[in-house]
Amino acid sequence: MLRRKKSSSPEHKRDPAAHGGALSMSQNNTRSFFNFSQLVLSAGHLRSPPVLKHSKITYFEVEILDVQSKKQICIVDKVPPSSTLLDVKHKFHKACPQWYPSRVGLQLERNGPYLKDSVNIQSLAVSSIITLYFTDLGQQVGWTTFFLTEYTGPLLIYLLFYIRLSTIYDQVESTKNFRHPVVHLACFCHCLHYIRHLLETLFVHKFSGGHTPLKNMIKGCAFYWGFTSWIAYYINHPRYTPPSFGHRQVSLAALAFLMCEAGNHFINVALAHQNHSGSKACFPSPTYNPFTWLFLLVSCPNYTYEVGSWISFTVMTQTLPVGIFAFLMVIQMSLWAQKKHKLYLKKFYPEVRRKAAMIPIIF
Amino acid sequence: MAASGSGGSRADNGYGGQQQPRRRKGPGALATAYLVIYNVVMTAGWLVIAVGLVRAYLAKGSYHSLYYSIEKPLKFFQTGALLEILHCAFGIVPSSVVLTAFQVMSRVFLTWAVTHSVKEVQTEDSVLLFVVSWTITEIIRYSFYTFSLLNHLPYLIKWARYTLFIILYPMGVTGELLTIYAALPFVRQSGLYSISLPNKYNFSFDYYTFLILVMISYIPLFPQLYFHMLHQRRKVLSHPDEHKKSE
Repeated sequence: MLRRKKSSSPEHKRDPAAHGGALSMSQNNTRSFFNFSQLVLSAGHLRSPPVLKHSKITYFEVEILDVQSKKQICIVDKVPPSSTLLDVKHKFHKACPQWYPSRVGLQLERNGPYLKDSVNIQSLAVSSIITLYFTDLGQQVGWTTFFLTEYTGPLLIYLLFYIRLSTIYDQVESTKNFRHPVVHLACFCHCLHYIRHLLETLFVHKFSGGHTPLKNMIKGCAFYWGFTSWIAYYINHPRYTPPSFGHRQVSLAALAFLMCEAGNHFINVALAHQNHSGSKACFPSPTYNPFTWLFLLVSCPNYTYEVGSWISFTVMTQTLPVGIFAFLMVIQMSLWAQKKHKLYLKKFYPEVRRKAAMIPIIF
Repeated sequence: MAASGSGGSRADNGYGGQQQPRRRKGPGALATAYLVIYNVVMTAGWLVIAVGLVRAYLAKGSYHSLYYSIEKPLKFFQTGALLEILHCAFGIVPSSVVLTAFQVMSRVFLTWAVTHSVKEVQTEDSVLLFVVSWTITEIIRYSFYTFSLLNHLPYLIKWARYTLFIILYPMGVTGELLTIYAALPFVRQSGLYSISLPNKYNFSFDYYTFLILVMISYIPLFPQLYFHMLHQRRKVLSHPDEHKKSE
């Protein structure tokens, strides 16, 4: 607010001028200088400041408590209302460097669900202080790392058994016995399967959620690596018995396996491209490619093809452990397919209504 | 191994910390009636086994080879515990299906796949050791459940359930391990439940190695279960009001 001193100075100027004289002139100069300096000093805010008193920007404070001890870990302040939970997590990470954002689980109440990163802070607030409970979700690992580790293991382990390491198999027997061609074919198919998975992880898949706990990776790796060792042991054993129906069984099963692999690949490519184009609002549609026609019958054809691959592999090698592994995979894939199918039913109701989850018509 | 039969360990023993609390709707009236009958029958059954043991001891004058006098009721009532897995699966008992299944299966495994299958171990003293341990534990446990369901739990039974395991559990585990160890040479000799290569389905199973692995698995599992029960004891016996139905 400019204080109008200018009007006073001419008045003062006028009075000494009225009295006249050089003395009055110098007095006049000092006074006008004084007035000028006052003017300069008073002109601090040349522009009127933003009207803070009626401002709508209220910053939030987020208080973060430990979920078990209820002790306060830290307060994140000056949180703008437009920010998301992820921004709060980043700020929290700066304050406590050991909790990086993907490891932080925040809940509104002690037994409530974990809040998503995309949640807006304003939607959580009842006052200007928000209280959140923190849980350490454990060491996290990226999805790409997860899948690469999980698939590289079986690839290498099977090959170790294939070359018949002397520590695993009796050397005398190994050199003596003739190896049926199905053993070589099985190795080829198994490697093909995992190489395809690895290449798809690197070049095709686009992962939505960033991370998963390390524990899941260890569990998954233990499962895959353990079972691969078990099945590789029997298929490459010197006393392996080839399938009962001979070449016919092997060739038909190998053909089915290759078809399922191709189908799985095309489905994954189609799913990845669909997300890429941004049209999240439609269920993937079959194209000219006959392998994608399974989309007409089933909502999760990638699981169908995966299950098909493993069943073909079982028939091809006629090995019970592979059958057990395939059975467990069927159970696992069915559970995942069911979940996904329910999600699709909610999102894409009319199209998905008549489809099965994983096996056409049946389930 | 499930000597104390903590089939009622709930999700808050460290497994379920990250999920929403399972809303425990208690069993309905019909389910409660059924559970009371089940627990009463099981208590009676194990009492029969206990009485059978005492009578056989008094009749024979020694504690050797008492297994034969209670063989049938033991098999019947221990196998009947499989129903508890279904109880958890149907939600009328608030316990984890996996944990209960694991404990019941280990008992059933010992009853059928070791003691029944390998006849030569039935005269061992270690069999008596675990049978006695199981009998006392199960009588207390099933009466605990019965009284809990009827909401009239005497403190003595609660105390017994959460205290006697301190001795009974290690006793039972010792008996079980000694029995499996005694069975090993007979399994090796007869090739019991084992299948070897080559065969049409390219599968092999060595029961001898499997039994050794089972024995080794006691090493990580027994301390966990034991300390879990100790922890439960501290919680339950120091807060008598809050944890009326805590198992």
